Amino acid sequence: MTSQTYTFRIQRNMPGQVGTVQSHWQEYKVEAEPNTTILTLLETIKGGQDGTLTFRQSCRSAICGSCAINIGGRTRLACKTHVGAVAKDGVVEISPQKNQPVLRDLAIDIRPFFSRVHGIKPYLQDGPERAGKVTSTAYDQVNHVTQCIMCGCCYSECTMAEVNPKFIGPAALAKAFRFVSDPREGLKTERLQDLASPNGIWSCTRCTLCVDVCPKEVAPMEAIVKLRTRGLNKGINTSAGAKHALAFHTDIKQTGQLNEFTLMMRTLGIVGSLMETGMAIHLAKKGKIPSPFPHSVTGVDELRRMYESLERSPIDVETKAKEAVPE
Amino acid sequence: MKSHDLIIVGAGLSGMRAALEGAKAGLDVAVVSKVHPLRSHSCAAQGGINAAINPNDKWEVHAYDTVKGSDFIGDEDAIDLMCREAPGIIHEMDRMGTPFSRNDDGVIAQRPFGGASFDRTCYAADRTGQVLLHTLWERLVHSGIHVYEECHVFRLVLASDGHVAGLVVYDIKTGEIFGLRGKGILLATGGYGRVFLSSTNATTNTGDGMAYAMRAGAPLADLEFVQFHPTGLRTSGILITEGARGEGGYLINAEGERFMGRYAPKKWELASRDVVSRAEQTEILEGRGTNGAIFLDLRHLGRDKIIDKLPQIRHLALDLEGVDPIDAPIPVRPTVHYSMGGIRTDKFGETPVPGLFAAGEAACVSVHGANRLGGNSLLDTIVFGKITGEHACKYVKSAQLRDFPTNAIAEEKDRIQELKSRPNRGLRPAMLHHQMAEAMNTYCGVYREPVGMTTLAEKFPGWRLDYERIHLDDKSTVFNVDLLRAVELRNLLDLGESIVKGALAREESRGAHFRIDFPNRDDVNWRKHTLAFWDEGAQAVRLDQEAVRTVGNPEYAPMVRTY
Repeated sequence: MTSQTYTFRIQRNMPGQVGTVQSHWQEYKVEAEPNTTILTLLETIKGGQDGTLTFRQSCRSAICGSCAINIGGRTRLACKTHVGAVAKDGVVEISPQKNQPVLRDLAIDIRPFFSRVHGIKPYLQDGPERAGKVTSTAYDQVNHVTQCIMCGCCYSECTMAEVNPKFIGPAALAKAFRFVSDPREGLKTERLQDLASPNGIWSCTRCTLCVDVCPKEVAPMEAIVKLRTRGLNKGINTSAGAKHALAFHTDIKQTGQLNEFTLMMRTLGIVGSLMETGMAIHLAKKGKIPSPFPHSVTGVDELRRMYESLERSPIDVETKAKEAVPE
Repeated sequence: MKSHDLIIVGAGLSGMRAALEGAKAGLDVAVVSKVHPLRSHSCAAQGGINAAINPNDKWEVHAYDTVKGSDFIGDEDAIDLMCREAPGIIHEMDRMGTPFSRNDDGVIAQRPFGGASFDRTCYAADRTGQVLLHTLWERLVHSGIHVYEECHVFRLVLASDGHVAGLVVYDIKTGEIFGLRGKGILLATGGYGRVFLSSTNATTNTGDGMAYAMRAGAPLADLEFVQFHPTGLRTSGILITEGARGEGGYLINAEGERFMGRYAPKKWELASRDVVSRAEQTEILEGRGTNGAIFLDLRHLGRDKIIDKLPQIRHLALDLEGVDPIDAPIPVRPTVHYSMGGIRTDKFGETPVPGLFAAGEAACVSVHGANRLGGNSLLDTIVFGKITGEHACKYVKSAQLRDFPTNAIAEEKDRIQELKSRPNRGLRPAMLHHQMAEAMNTYCGVYREPVGMTTLAEKFPGWRLDYERIHLDDKSTVFNVDLLRAVELRNLLDLGESIVKGALAREESRGAHFRIDFPNRDDVNWRKHTLAFWDEGAQAVRLDQEAVRTVGNPEYAPMVRTY
């Protein structure tokens, strides 16, 4: 491989007055082969050109999660990202993680992120739901999620966290799934109830960005979907999110299409729906209020058979392993 | 000034395990860590953790393997203690929530590791350290113990009676320099891999605790025993676990020959790490390598086994070397991996400085002697984290808070101010670090010869002068990594000097220390530990010796080490 000159366009951030950060972009030029990692080149710049450039790093081998930053428009681990793979016309743009307060340059304040993880009680708890024996397949689900290194890439890209900073976020929810799946956890149902609270599992919009950016293939969104399923199976269905999902389920099974007229009432209840009257009037004016009596679509029988087949043998997209959670 | 009963420095496996003992004892314990606990280097351990949990295995056999692996210089009382505690520790970690890999019958799975006479290494795929670290962090969160996160220690402070009084701490996030008082201090700061240029270690592994302990008067032991791991990636030095050989991986040279049979006819690739590293280095030196590397061949294991048992190393090989081990052998070479030496302690982790304790890689208990067996370091961290934590708690229960000499804080503030006020000329810390680390690799590597080591040892006074002339680009208070690197560099210089002086003094070959001019082990003169002290007057490291602690077990009598 031949080396070439790359331009690093790096967002520099310095704390200003209380609560503000002064930003500007600065360019550096480095010589490198395309398979050199971004972290190596950031070190080259810091050691040889500008000692003030600030970023976190530690293990260099994608297992400690320190160096997660925004590279070429995506949050990635700098230590496993090759410059050649992200440079556009020889330019690499680098900025800190999104959805997080910046301390300095590329270093964000990790405390808000970790306080959300603390919020899900990230430890095994004693209780009646604890299983005595651990079989060889008991961790098929757990293993997948324990690959998480808490780098925060998923939180940085999370579209829900962007609009709702109270959202617990994909990493913390994936961690929660780790305990709900563990045969040795004693309070699975209690956890599922907690997680169905506002800003929990039902807030995820399933945009899949967390799955795309995760450097450890944890697939947090799939863990969130599984938490929802587990919760519903346990009858935890009183949250708006759960009711919304159940309404979808019933309608599609019955007629093959949504009854959008009654959807809001079934999701939010009478009082909640009344709060949305303004929106309803707005929609009515535009002719967007659907019929309250939708008819069945053709081929709905086929659809019902698919449903029944899936209910008999659910597809496990995450691990392809049979779930083995003795409860 | 804030005070705690016990302050633990470092939040890796040993630091967090020790902290849990404090919580159990109902004491006010705090942890100071320069990184978030989950960023600790313990997470990088891949292969596994040894324990005689199989009914057909015995802790006594594990202990014998360890004594032999240590090349008969490990302290036998500590080795016996560690191996006896091991099964209990594994089951305890399991109960805490570690998802160990399991056999079909549900029992914790074990794999073979180098130098062991039984398949004794418990594991969780190839990320054992990570799951253990996350498990202990979960317990730490549960315990509510206060962690001073992203806070670096500048100095260990002693009271006028020589007892520990506390620490001077630097908050990396804010630049604040503050004192922290403690009745006892436990250093669990890990190893010093960054003394060398090519290393499997994290960039944070700068041996800070060791250097601070030495400057405070506690001796370091056996720093010359630097473990080289046989399979560091050629370009970056990043670790490829011994588990890869445990699962059946071969080492081959550039000619495609599986060469280990010539060096260890019985154990082949699963000989002890020092034996395998020397074999590789010999192949490379004799021209049977490619660009300074030989190869780890996993192709015959097949795609499924590689993906199932070694997923992380496949990614590392792909990401960092551009090689998919399913299709091609991985270029590897011996790379600095582990410090067998460290702060000298007894088997309970106590140092000669009153109130000062050490555990994990920072300590020299010494369970690894001249060469550590794979799978014993994770065990060391957790067993001695627990034992030392328990012992330190007992100690602080009857100890008093000492007067904290506040001028220590002022001195550190002045030192930092002076560093920052230097004009921007002269060496950057990174340049001086590179010079030293490169020379350490060249002259104090797998094979050591006297001229090179003497040349190296004589460079240290000059480097110390250079250190007084380094400058910082970064004068700011928030997240000043430049400053951090400069502070760490002084620690690395102290440790580098201890390593090379110890290696020059030890006129024999034992374990990881191989002298070309003294190729044999010399039990008559050298079955002892090297001690290193900081001589404040001479501004240099001074050496002494200490006998190995033995238990009188006739089976532990030194014999020729063959594999």
